[in-house]
Amino acid sequence: MNNIISSLELALNAFKSNKTRTALAILGVTIGISSIIIVFSAGEGIKSLLADQVESFGADVVQAEIKIPSSKKGYAGERQSAMSLLQGAQVTTMKSDDLKDILELPNVADAYGLFMTQEQITYRGEIENTIVWATSASFIDIDQAGVDEGRFFSDAENRSLAQVIVLGSGIKEKLFGDSDPIDRTIRVRNVRFRVIGVMEERGSIMTFNFDDMIYVPVRTLQKRVVGVDYFVNILAKLHNMDFVDETMEEMRGIMRENHNINPPDEIRESIFDTGKDDFRIVSMVEALEAFDQMYSTITLVLLAIVAISLIVGGVGVMNVMYVIVNERTPEIGLRKAVGAKNNDIMLQFLVESVLITLIGGVVGTVIGILISWGVTVGATSAGFSWNFAIPIEAFVTALLFSVVFGIAFGLYPARKAALMDPIEALQHNK
Amino acid sequence: MNIIEIKNLSRTYGDEVKTYALINASFSIQKGEFVAIMGPSGSGKSTLMHVLGLLDRATSGTYLFENRDVSTLNDNELAVLRNEEIGFVFQAFNLLPRTTVFKNVALPLIYARDKSEGNKRVRDILEKVNLSHRLGYLTNQISGGEKQRVAIARALINNPSVVFADEPTGNLDSKSGVQVIEILQKLNDEGHTIILVTHETETAECADRVINIVDGKIVSDKRVKSKKRVSANDLIK
Repeated sequence: MNNIISSLELALNAFKSNKTRTALAILGVTIGISSIIIVFSAGEGIKSLLADQVESFGADVVQAEIKIPSSKKGYAGERQSAMSLLQGAQVTTMKSDDLKDILELPNVADAYGLFMTQEQITYRGEIENTIVWATSASFIDIDQAGVDEGRFFSDAENRSLAQVIVLGSGIKEKLFGDSDPIDRTIRVRNVRFRVIGVMEERGSIMTFNFDDMIYVPVRTLQKRVVGVDYFVNILAKLHNMDFVDETMEEMRGIMRENHNINPPDEIRESIFDTGKDDFRIVSMVEALEAFDQMYSTITLVLLAIVAISLIVGGVGVMNVMYVIVNERTPEIGLRKAVGAKNNDIMLQFLVESVLITLIGGVVGTVIGILISWGVTVGATSAGFSWNFAIPIEAFVTALLFSVVFGIAFGLYPARKAALMDPIEALQHNK
Repeated sequence: MNIIEIKNLSRTYGDEVKTYALINASFSIQKGEFVAIMGPSGSGKSTLMHVLGLLDRATSGTYLFENRDVSTLNDNELAVLRNEEIGFVFQAFNLLPRTTVFKNVALPLIYARDKSEGNKRVRDILEKVNLSHRLGYLTNQISGGEKQRVAIARALINNPSVVFADEPTGNLDSKSGVQVIEILQKLNDEGHTIILVTHETETAECADRVINIVDGKIVSDKRVKSKKRVSANDLIK
């Protein structure tokens, strides 16, 4: 113990005598360790962001979305579908029969069909291009969205093809500013709609900015504006998430039957093995898990990069330790002459290199925390729900890495010092 | 009692082409003796001191230190002996730079098994070499003579039975040199065995006995007829 304390003292003395060199060695480690903290903290931030998005969509929601059927299976099939979609293929088979049948499933509490399109809307000669979010009345409950002014449209209005519209808070601001939009008339592709409400601010979820959309009854849009009879999505809210897999399977069955699709011969093992289907059933939980998995992979890759930067830092420490050992060769000889054992010398230099990496680790941790906090402030002020959290693993990893790297990269120089011949060491530079 | 006893001790360097630094040296040194090892530079006197001081091992022959055959001791056991039984004083002082006088003297205590009353021991020994007033000074703030006295204090901190002094006056002015020899003589009076390596006859004559070494061979081993006692006012150069 005494030995370690005196080694520490010596190390500090040595650092003081060559501040620049020590600072540079510390800097290398600092960069690596602060990166560790940032990667971990960003992970927490992204997780909180995703959790918030899923939360606002509802974790108990399952959706059916349209998909171009493909002849291939698995990933290749997915790719083929995506390519066809990009080439402008359209699927028009998801209809109100599907919605009706899904609503009859015992575990489905509520569901709505969605049609989405981009349209030009005009108000008093002002033209805006905007996304039209056409749904049934259940949308407001299932999505847990709120109305700020007026009201949302009713089921009766949807059935009767009422020409009513609810504005997103952003588009309302653009078209009306501070004035009251209720009962004003807006044209969507020359069809007149009466404004009956304004949505609460909701922000962006999965790249959709809900505040810049307009909301209309889906049947009104289908019959009176676009002239189609299909949906692009059906979202169903479940009673009990314990049976989510069964319910998804039931939905798949219903839709296959309605769309005259024979189930593939083989047993499907994943959601990707649905080649011939012209739809895809996904749950928010699944989506979250997929994101989580994706993020874990990204974290691993990032940590690998960080590890490389730490190795570079470690090599810097090693280099400095070699210089220090070389410089202090006469001292090593003297210590041996007055009774230091090889292990004493080894310990002394290991303490020194661990001290360098530990200081680097502590400084890096502080810098990492500051940067992560800065990112949080930035992301929060940009409207993201980004939590500032640094998991305990980050600190443990940072501490562990600093000590392990100190030992690993200090080992060879310390060994060199320990194994020096005392006489040669004493006569060094003479 | 013999503190050091060597028989046919040789030290060679190199594997294929052997260079002899020390050839068949045999002698013994008794406890309490003041011995000077003398010889021109390159004669092997330093090699002899390194082997006797347990910093180096002989290639052949036997060496009994306090009646223990050192060839049977491992590196750690040698380190313990160097720490407890041997003190070194070097020509170049070999003090730790940017470190206080106190810490330099205390250095061997770090590796000592008995660290009791360490601080007191350091103070007492600095008193003995008249350096109490320099306790907190850094080693680059004191004179050469003072440096060598710090080194002597360091050599004495674990109360060794033998002090090896390798050209201790070589880097000093004559007055400081005399002071150093005076201290060595006093230590010898107190019972310490002193082995002084030098190439100066005058310095060697301050010992009880002079062993002459030339080309690795011991050429003479004589008692000094009239041992020169020095005091700080004398000049021996």
